[in-house]
Parts: sequence; structure tokens; C-alpha cells
Amino acid sequence: MEPKDITKLILRTSMKDRAAFDLLYRQTSAKLFGVCLRVLNDRGEAEDALQDVYVKIWTKADRFAVSDLSPISWLVAIARNHSIDRIRARRQPAADIETVLDVADPTPGPEAAAVSGDEAGQIHRCLEELEDDRAGAVRGAYLKGESYAELAERYDVPLNTMRTWLRRSLMKLRECLER
Amino acid sequence: MTLTGEHGPERESDDLIAAEYVLGVLSAAERQEATHRIDTDPAFARLVDEWEVRLSPLADAYPAAEPSQSVKPAIDRRLFASASPSPAAAPRAGIWTSLGFWRGLAAAAVAGLAITIALPYLQPPAQQQTRLVASLAADSSNVKYLAVYDAAHHNVGLSHLSGERDQGKDFELWLIEGDKPPVSLGVIPVGAATTVPVTPTLQQQLEQGAVLAVSVEPPGGSPTGQPTGPVVATGDLKNI
Repeated sequence: MEPKDITKLILRTSMKDRAAFDLLYRQTSAKLFGVCLRVLNDRGEAEDALQDVYVKIWTKADRFAVSDLSPISWLVAIARNHSIDRIRARRQPAADIETVLDVADPTPGPEAAAVSGDEAGQIHRCLEELEDDRAGAVRGAYLKGESYAELAERYDVPLNTMRTWLRRSLMKLRECLER
Repeated sequence: MTLTGEHGPERESDDLIAAEYVLGVLSAAERQEATHRIDTDPAFARLVDEWEVRLSPLADAYPAAEPSQSVKPAIDRRLFASASPSPAAAPRAGIWTSLGFWRGLAAAAVAGLAITIALPYLQPPAQQQTRLVASLAADSSNVKYLAVYDAAHHNVGLSHLSGERDQGKDFELWLIEGDKPPVSLGVIPVGAATTVPVTPTLQQQLEQGAVLAVSVEPPGGSPTGQPTGPVVATGDLKNI
């Protein structure tokens, strides 16, 4: 489905058009569920989160008006932020098995960058300008919603060091993307 | 919680918090605070949106996954528990009084999308009359109105989207054509949609590209017949 079709569906959803909402769900729920599942890492909880996400989409569809995001990115942002809020609300996990087993997210191959086009290619190029572990921390944080505390533990550095690393990385990224 | 940020100007520090919020590294309490600011501080919300845009290509890495079939019915129960299950039977309020309609139009206008894309969905296909739309706003204020000129019904539909007026003041709508003195279209309400009738002369001016503006006036409107207070929103009509 084209972005402009998703835009239409969001517009119609903001007009409380249930048929459009149903179609929007059919077209986008697999992507948004993928987001919830990756962040929450638990199918049942991800499905609860997905419910909340579409309730938000129904009630806040008009907010799409003030965003510069593409329609699918706008929907993904709702799903991501809601899922991250949920894991933050969870009891802080002890150094769990996942931390031990989990390796840093692999850099998407060149084919991934090629597929997702110029803009996506650019952020991957900019991430490559960062030191490897920092780029990995940025990706891990973004995709899994890892907190400073979790990242500090994974990379075995003090929390403030991790904070400084990531803040510098973010500013470098912005600078690179604006070149 | 600021380290590098506290040395820079406040905006720099806000930009970092926005970046950290979008990246997802903040604690529960920090995220709650950021969420509150997104809802109440448009400048901060803007910074967050910019970071969402910058980092959004990373989301391509999320693999799609099918949720179980029970999720959508559960959503529908939460949203439409008292309504009928069939979307086709859902009642539709009059389109001119629907806030969603106005916001939908605003969405198209603000997002810079071709309104022609959305239009077939917004109006009955039979009406091919002249319709012009303007998003009324100004950098100096947060007042926003959406205006739709409807030639067939000789009126301008007006919807207040955001921004409050000071106590004891009214908003007044003006039509401005070139260098000519503004013509008042009357005092307009806050927080509601309304329609303002227009005369054939004004219609002609509107169709020739006159600008609409909203000013702050004493209660009941300008005593002089000309704007006396600051203009808080303005915009020109675009053909849809």
C-alpha cells in the first residue's frame, strides 16, 4: 500500500470512519505488532500493547496533522513509544538471560540500505561514522528501547559514561544527517 | 540529569532530551515528564518530531509479525462497545459539525499534502462547486483556525483548532484584498465550528484570492470597523 493511501486512511480515521480504521488495521497491524513484539519480547504483552496502540490511533489520528513523519513512521512511533513506556513500567529486570544471550543488533546489510532508499541509506552511513559499539548501542536502544541503565550493564561501563557516549553520538548523528 | 546540555542554551538541552526520548533510553519518570511536555509545549513537541523523523529509517529493521485474530475484536470492543458491530451502520454526524472533518482537512493542509487526494473522501462527489480552504495561523501566536469557503452555500465555514483569546476579548474575522481596508466578517467563536455568510461582492473577492485574518478585539468586535488589536492568524485561500 502506498504512503498516500495510508495517509487517506489516517485522515478518514480522524473523521471517525470505522471502515477506514478497519482497513488501516489490516494494512498496518503486522508492522506495528512487529514493533511491539521486538520491544516487549512477549507475545501476550505485545498483543495488549497493540490494542492500546490502535485505541490511541483512533483517538489521536488528528495529531498526524502536526507531524512531519511519513504516515507509516507516524504509526510506528506510536507503537514504539507505547511499547517503551510499557517496558519502563515493568519491574526492573535483573540481569536477565536476554542480556547475556543477546548480541548487539547486526548492522543491516547493504541490501537493506539499498531497499529502504536514500534517507535510510543516509542514517546507516552516519551510524557507520560512529565507533562500532556506539552505533550498536544506538541501534539497540532504538529497536529494543533499552534504557541507559540496561545499556551501561550490557557494555559494562558506568551509567554516566553510557549517557555521555550516547549523547555525543546523537549530536554527531544530527550533524551528519544535516550535512 | 543534564551533563553536556547544561552548558549550552536551553534549546540545546531540550534537543538532547528530545533525542533521548525518541531513542528510548530515558527512565520511566523521565519519559513521563517528556510525554507531558510533548502534550503541553509545542516547541518541545517539534523537537521530538524532528528526531522521530531523523531516526525513523532505523524502524525498517523491525520484522513484521501477525498478531492473533482476537486482537482486532478486542480493540473494537474497547472503542465501540455500545455501538453496532458493523462499520457500515455506524452513524455519521453532519460533516460540518464534525471536528474530525475539520482536523482531517487541517491534516491535509498542514502536512502539505495535496488536498485533492483527500477531497474525494471529504465531500460528496456530486458537489463540484467552488471550494477554497485556508489554514489560518501566524508564527507569533498559537491561534489556528481552518476556513473553508463554500461558493454554493455563500458562506465561509470556520473551525477553531487551537489557541485561546485573553479574557474579555473577542476574535474577529477579516477579509483583506490587496491594499484595500479589511472588511469585517464578524466576531467568531472559540472552541467551536461556525459558518459566516458572505455577500456576492465578498464572494468575488474571496475567489480572486483575498486573504483571511483573525484579530483580537474588544468584546463584540472592533469599535472602529477596522482591526484594532493584533492579528493572531492569517492565511490565503487555496483551491480545492
